[in-house]
Amino acid sequence: MGGQDNVETLVVLQPIAVDTASLDRTGMLVLANGKLVAILVRLEVPEHARCGAWFLEVGLGRLAGVRPPAFDTLEDATRWVRQHLKG
Amino acid sequence: MQDALIRKLENFETFTAADRAALRAFAPRTRQVGARTDLIREGDTPENVHLILDGYACRYKILPDGQRQIMAFFVPGDFCDLNVFILDQMDHNIGTISPCQVVGIPRQAIDELMAQYPLVTRALLWCALVDEAVLREWLVNIGSRQADQRIAHLFCELLLRLETVGRVTENSYAFPFTQTDIADTMGLSDVQISRTLRELRRLELITLKHRVLTILDVEQLKAYCGFNPNYLHLRNTRWSGRRQVPWLSDVQEG
Repeated sequence: MGGQDNVETLVVLQPIAVDTASLDRTGMLVLANGKLVAILVRLEVPEHARCGAWFLEVGLGRLAGVRPPAFDTLEDATRWVRQHLKG
Repeated sequence: MQDALIRKLENFETFTAADRAALRAFAPRTRQVGARTDLIREGDTPENVHLILDGYACRYKILPDGQRQIMAFFVPGDFCDLNVFILDQMDHNIGTISPCQVVGIPRQAIDELMAQYPLVTRALLWCALVDEAVLREWLVNIGSRQADQRIAHLFCELLLRLETVGRVTENSYAFPFTQTDIADTMGLSDVQISRTLRELRRLELITLKHRVLTILDVEQLKAYCGFNPNYLHLRNTRWSGRRQVPWLSDVQEG
């Protein structure tokens, strides 16, 4: 019991260009234990309140429909994904 | 203030002198409320029906995870909670967006008016039915339109609603909403709002400067989101003198 909690979800990021119908195009595929769970996009358009932050463009599975604030760093985003998948 | 209320309601019904006298008889409380202030909260007992004379307000709920959903915007001339004054407890919050001048009409006064003045009752019902129609359209908006069309639709709706109360100048109106307000209304993220605003600017459909929204091409913006103003029932409002609702009169006489 509880053994599974000790096994951290392995989150891997892979760079990918994303069409967001805007100038934000630098993206990361987020894979958790080998499965695609999200796509992050870097906010590059100056109009964004948090330019430079990473935005959860798409969430899949348990991340579907969730709207977290943009993340300052990819590490923050990865931590959030891990926590969210654990619950 | 009563005169403003009478003018508002006479958009829907032509009152008799007795109706007007009844509306002038009670003493409503007018107050100035700051921006981002709750007028009434979920769980409160509604004592007054709120009418916005100036400024913008909204109806919203907060989910357990802190997410806010806005279900309605109120502009000058709108009743905020005509639909809840009969109920015992508020099931949502009403808060201001910008500083507002708000009138509180005691629910007892509304009860008495409705018991004795059928034309006033019908005018209030009309307001409530239009509110409901707007809510239906918002449901369609959130459920079935793409993000950029949703926002364009809201801009068109606000233009028409504000126009009827004289708050539009050359297709421009006050827009005190933040991107987060719009996001929480549309079920979108701030980022999607920011992208859409940029796209609508690029298409030269709107400008948004110093909290004033200008619609540069109204017909194009309407076409962009497939806007049909029928749900606002504005035509009927303007033609109230010629409008007939015989079935309702029959019911009341029976």
